[in-house]
Amino acid sequence: MADATTTEATELATLAGVIDKKMTRQLKQYLDLCARCAICKDACHQYVATQDVKYLPAYRAELIRRIYKKYFDKTGRFVPALYEGRDPDENLLDELYETTYACTGCRRCMYFCPFSIDTQFILSVAKAMLIAAGRGNEMLGQLADAAIFKGDNMEMFHDVIVDGFKDVEKEVQEITGDPTAEIPVDKQGADILYVALAGAHSIRPAAVIFHEAKESWTLSLFEAANYGFFFGDPVKARKIADRFMDEAVRLGVKEVVITECGHAYRVAEIFHEAWAGKKHPFKVTHVLEKIDAYIKDGRIKVSKAIELPITYHDPCQIGRNGGIFEQPRDIVKAISKDFRDMTPNRQEQWCCGGGGGIVAIDEMNEFRLKSGMKKVEQIRATGAKIVASPCENCRLQMEGLDEVHQLGVRIAAIMDLVVESMPLKGRDAAKV
Amino acid sequence: MSDEIKPDLELDLKGLLCPLPMVKVSQRIKDVPVGGVIRAVATDPGAMADIPAWAKSTGNEVVSAGKVGGEFVFLVKRVK
Repeated sequence: MADATTTEATELATLAGVIDKKMTRQLKQYLDLCARCAICKDACHQYVATQDVKYLPAYRAELIRRIYKKYFDKTGRFVPALYEGRDPDENLLDELYETTYACTGCRRCMYFCPFSIDTQFILSVAKAMLIAAGRGNEMLGQLADAAIFKGDNMEMFHDVIVDGFKDVEKEVQEITGDPTAEIPVDKQGADILYVALAGAHSIRPAAVIFHEAKESWTLSLFEAANYGFFFGDPVKARKIADRFMDEAVRLGVKEVVITECGHAYRVAEIFHEAWAGKKHPFKVTHVLEKIDAYIKDGRIKVSKAIELPITYHDPCQIGRNGGIFEQPRDIVKAISKDFRDMTPNRQEQWCCGGGGGIVAIDEMNEFRLKSGMKKVEQIRATGAKIVASPCENCRLQMEGLDEVHQLGVRIAAIMDLVVESMPLKGRDAAKV
Repeated sequence: MSDEIKPDLELDLKGLLCPLPMVKVSQRIKDVPVGGVIRAVATDPGAMADIPAWAKSTGNEVVSAGKVGGEFVFLVKRVK
């Protein structure tokens, strides 16, 4: 019969085995390569704001690296103490939880790392290990499960969701001044499946813009947000994205357009095909790519209606990790008179501190707002009165920063600003 | 029937955009005892699917959900 020590050793080895299951050439390289140069310390907004070593990207990865050394590296296996090999015991898991779920996954550290070590990738292994140990973040797990439940039981929610869309449709008719404007749902053969958030705020302005552009579109019954991705479970994450990807196949659309949401775009465009193991029969785009094309092709009319100085914050998942930099700026320039970019910007943009699902983790609120200091400095330096950003998490974080630091700025979604700059018959009669 | 239930906690979620109403209910459910009830008022129509889906998947119970004027009112019971 196994004694307590043997059982504990087996459990530790099982947890360490998560690393082995996730092992790829890429991960091995990341775990072997770190030179501890600490260049990443100046790249991480959380470390810069707190000067706490547990938020140093190299240290976060080091926790996994030490388990790897003890269990999978020849030298570390024989002389673990010399190579700082460690077990995934209670203490290490406690530390791993805090450093891992605090990380926003912005990958700014990777951008500046001389070896391009992807700390977020290493932390995806950490999350898998925490989940295996029953220590995944409860809130993110619950939100992921709720989305999956909704997808598995759509008959239970269909009518209430469509009723909500009908209310928004009336507002769209008022704003456009066109009583025939509609929010199509389940429209077979539409060119575009638009995937919004659950909130009406991401449906209303898009519906106005699609209507004015005379687009052939239909609205997804499912929301784009993916808490399975934040939780760190690729199976849950895939199930959540499958809901609208399967819908797109069923409706035969040519394009899936993701709303102003950072991680949802990255999941749909970068990860989902690999998770599903097959190529999509449609392309995936971000809604701002569509709107930029509508403006440049003359499909919608806009004016430089935004007079206050305006700046743009690149959400990490759309910019650095998604490669979309110019289209949002071109849109903002087309609708405003005084655009002021932040410094640094594009690939080097500072993370605002609101990514990775951290805005849903109550106990991290104080830390999250503290970690946004670089963003506060950047916004202040522009002198802008409006900060435009196409990511819900970024906007929530920056609204919090605005409140705490009295920045006096309006944090806005770009679609809302576009609608404000469009000549619309009914706009004055309703608020968008 | 549900009008007779006295909530243990009132949550004003007006103005919050989905999924935040669901997130807030999820965060605050531990603040009421098992058997206790949260009365939540939201204005985003997305909450009408979000909050019941969260309750079903977590084993809690939406005692009632309905639109009153322009607001969505929920009574959510903590079951476990």
